[in-house]
Amino acid sequence: MRGSKRVTRRLAALAALALAAFAHIQPAAAQEKARVDLVKVHSPAIAGNLEGNPADRTVYVVTPPGYDQHPEKHYPVVYFLHGYFVEPKAYAELFDLGDALTGAAGAGNDVIFVMPDGFSKHRGSFYSNSPTTGNYEDFVAHDLVAWVDAHYRTLARRESRGLAGHSMGGYGAMRVGMKHPEVFSSLYVMSAGGGSVKLITREMAERAQADDGTVDLSAPIGGAQGDLAQLAAWSPDPQRPPNFINAGLLTDGTIDPVVQARMAANSLIGMLPQHIRELQQYEAIMLDVGDKDGLVTDSRAMSSELTRFGVVHKLEIYDGGHGDKVKDRLRSAVLPFFAVHLDR
Amino acid sequence: MLKKLAALAATFAVLAATPAMAQNITAPPAPVPAGITVETIKVHSPSLEGNLEGNSTEREALVVLPPSYGKDKNKRYRVVYYLHGFAIDGRNFYNFMKVPDAVNNSARRGEEFIVVVPDTLTKLGGSMYSSSVTTGDFRAFVAKDLVAYVDSHYRTIAKREGRGLAGHSMGGYGTWVIGMTYPQTFNAIYAQNACCISPRTETEESAKKMASVSIEDGVKADFGMRAGLSSMVAWSPNPQNPPYFADFPYKDGKVDQLVIAKWAANSPYAMVASHVPALKSFRGIGSDAGDKDGLLHDDTMIHEELDRFGIANQWAVYDGDHVNRIGQRFDEVVLPFMAKHLDRK
Repeated sequence: MRGSKRVTRRLAALAALALAAFAHIQPAAAQEKARVDLVKVHSPAIAGNLEGNPADRTVYVVTPPGYDQHPEKHYPVVYFLHGYFVEPKAYAELFDLGDALTGAAGAGNDVIFVMPDGFSKHRGSFYSNSPTTGNYEDFVAHDLVAWVDAHYRTLARRESRGLAGHSMGGYGAMRVGMKHPEVFSSLYVMSAGGGSVKLITREMAERAQADDGTVDLSAPIGGAQGDLAQLAAWSPDPQRPPNFINAGLLTDGTIDPVVQARMAANSLIGMLPQHIRELQQYEAIMLDVGDKDGLVTDSRAMSSELTRFGVVHKLEIYDGGHGDKVKDRLRSAVLPFFAVHLDR
Repeated sequence: MLKKLAALAATFAVLAATPAMAQNITAPPAPVPAGITVETIKVHSPSLEGNLEGNSTEREALVVLPPSYGKDKNKRYRVVYYLHGFAIDGRNFYNFMKVPDAVNNSARRGEEFIVVVPDTLTKLGGSMYSSSVTTGDFRAFVAKDLVAYVDSHYRTIAKREGRGLAGHSMGGYGTWVIGMTYPQTFNAIYAQNACCISPRTETEESAKKMASVSIEDGVKADFGMRAGLSSMVAWSPNPQNPPYFADFPYKDGKVDQLVIAKWAANSPYAMVASHVPALKSFRGIGSDAGDKDGLLHDDTMIHEELDRFGIANQWAVYDGDHVNRIGQRFDEVVLPFMAKHLDRK
């Protein structure tokens, strides 16, 4: 680690020299506030999916104040996974990202913040690997992290990478986190969905199988679309157009047990016992949820399961609902958490 | 599932040296042909440290070296890791499979391999090659600790392209799940007569029966019961529930569906859909079953599931049962398969 730090420092010094040499040509603009870059990242992991979700993903990258003036400086990175139903723009606006990261830097916590697009045909990828949606899990852990490390001055090591997310993104943070402790070192899971096992009922399956593959983006949250999104992520079937999902409805009206098994296998509570050693590698794990959020039960269950297995973590239940406090909590809880736990 | 296990138990009973309950399967020492060297190693496994069953963290493994290994001191070799089944240890599996003969026959065909047979026997009869705080993380033992030891002590082709993973029955199951979770370690996988493909379920009666077995009786129960208890400690571990340190699939007079869900997360059949990139990354995937094997149906299902997802794989149904031709097939099918899919340098 010390060796790689030395190399990083040397590279940084070289970069600084190079920049100084060209300073007369292109003076670095003073960056007093955090800057929100909207970039496209090509993901080989998502390419070729059956839903036609674009492999060139929109990504919000927020660089902290002073990023341009200090070309020798490298930063920790917080990766944030957004929730179901919306594109990342909604979270960028909700969070007022520039303001949040400017504020964090003012408190001495200057970090790069990265939010990738986890949207899909049925309005959410669940950050899983599926031939139907694309391999979003691999996109986050491999393609995105590699791209950010290559294009921004990051501290390119697990000790300086954190992973967070809200709702479907909380699920994603936990899922990707369980599988990739070699990439990230701390996790902040906000109001996670997908914690408990969702079993497919006959009604859900009939509704999903009747879907003709066209998507009504004006449809409200809930209903068939959420089922379709989860089935596309967890019970894909390349042989079943137009949705390429297997909802499991058998001719006798029962649900194929393997479809239920897949739902179980992709629930956080189902996955957890096989990933204890991975979770124990994290420097810190934080869960939070509002006391008026329907997901409070799942978060409690996840926390007791972690406790049972001796995985050190904290659960905070705050006064709030599913989404009304997340803007504030990004500032008051999430960014300060990573300030403590990410190495500089 | 119960019927399948009963069939399996019946097949294995024929093999067992004595019919006593809880007897693990034994086989007479394998002959070692001239030119073949067999070394017994002990590998310390950090991945097994702290397991609650008290399973040894020092695991025996047999390393079978091909004829030229001792002569050509610059040559490096492909390695096939070979996983044993339930209610047998590594050494008896090696004996039963006559691994030295297979390595020798392969060398005669011009294909030299090192074959490594690790021991993963646990308190209840089998690790299920799973990652459990109760039994130990046997997936990481195989894919990380064992591979690292072999690469640092033998002249191996120490990269993915030089490593294959195979196994029989529970070892075939291990081949599927270790392959899916550690694809970066192996280039080719071959599952012989793999068990435990479908999600394991219980009826109210079978769950109740399982929950009534004391740990003293559990360790000496029959094959089927021990297989169930071993699945439980591997898949629904609970550090706070001694003496098994696991959750029974039975709660408040009913089958506990949360436990069944945790078990489902360990079914290779249920795992395929979420591990397509891992499976597609292998240069070779093979599996087989005997036409008189109780596991034929399950093994056919996972092969068809791979086809459904467009994952290239080799599949054979052969004239045989769960055990009668497995050693011969390791020699005549599995090693040639590895020869085709692993790099010679």
